Amino acid sequence: MSANTKAISNSIASQRHDHIIAWFAALAIAIHVLESVIPSPLPGIKIGLANIVTIIVLVHFGWRTAAWVSLLRVLIGSLIIGSFLSPTFVLSLSGACASLIVIGLAYTLLGDKLSALGYSVLAAIAHILAQFWAAYWLFIPHDALFHLLPVLLTVAIITGIVNGILALAVQKRLKPLIYESIHTDEQPAKSSQ
Amino acid sequence: MTRPAITTLDMLLIAIAIAALPLAYQQLWGPNYRGTEVNILVTGQENQRHSLLRNQTLTVNGKLGDSVIRIKNGKAAFINSPCANKQCIHSGWLDRNGDTTACLPNRITLSVVGNGIARYDSVNF
Repeated sequence: MSANTKAISNSIASQRHDHIIAWFAALAIAIHVLESVIPSPLPGIKIGLANIVTIIVLVHFGWRTAAWVSLLRVLIGSLIIGSFLSPTFVLSLSGACASLIVIGLAYTLLGDKLSALGYSVLAAIAHILAQFWAAYWLFIPHDALFHLLPVLLTVAIITGIVNGILALAVQKRLKPLIYESIHTDEQPAKSSQ
Repeated sequence: MTRPAITTLDMLLIAIAIAALPLAYQQLWGPNYRGTEVNILVTGQENQRHSLLRNQTLTVNGKLGDSVIRIKNGKAAFINSPCANKQCIHSGWLDRNGDTTACLPNRITLSVVGNGIARYDSVNF
């Protein structure tokens, strides 16, 4: 393959890769914004349905794509809702970064040994712990906040399991043909990185 | 690409997470929150501190008259007070760090203090 054709195929592949990120980020943003309309039983407790997209992307396209989708979702989602640079945004970003780090490590170490369910639970726990620490250090530096932690952890495990099961269900319903075509298109982009 | 299915490691992870939960509750809601002393505040007087370990009955002179506070088995409560609606007596026994009650007509506040984390930061009436 000449240098020229290789460069062209690379640019096409990276365009495909960009499209995949854009599609899934758009989906995650839509879910994120729609979910912000649903009233929550307690402030600070949220199902985090948009994380299902992150998990599915992680399992299918790897960590880099998942990181893109997740961070774009936090950034653009906050711009749409109007919480950009507010405490909500800081908490959201710290949660997203922590879950990305944790699932990144787990993905490198374990790969397919964990399914979407396992990654979802890991991400949910990392998410709530990071949010808790951010809230404690930046906004409410009071020891009594720790009384909330067990409750928040319980909710995180439950939402992690729920999201994980939903992610598995979505994976099963993804049309295998379409999924395969996206997936094989993805391969050159992956190897060229 | 493997078919999407729950793996053994998933179940193990969830089991560990759920098993660790009671530990979190125990650590953060546990007995460290028992108070060790009781602080009695009367307007215009020195604070009084008494250990919750010693059972005793205290008579505190407030604005209206004498309130009776009893300390028993690590708990403290108003037993009698010269106020009209006896809110202070109805709040019952206090034993956790940060628990507070007051007899406002008689200007007496009773609060439990300890080494751990207080349940309330401050209370406004």
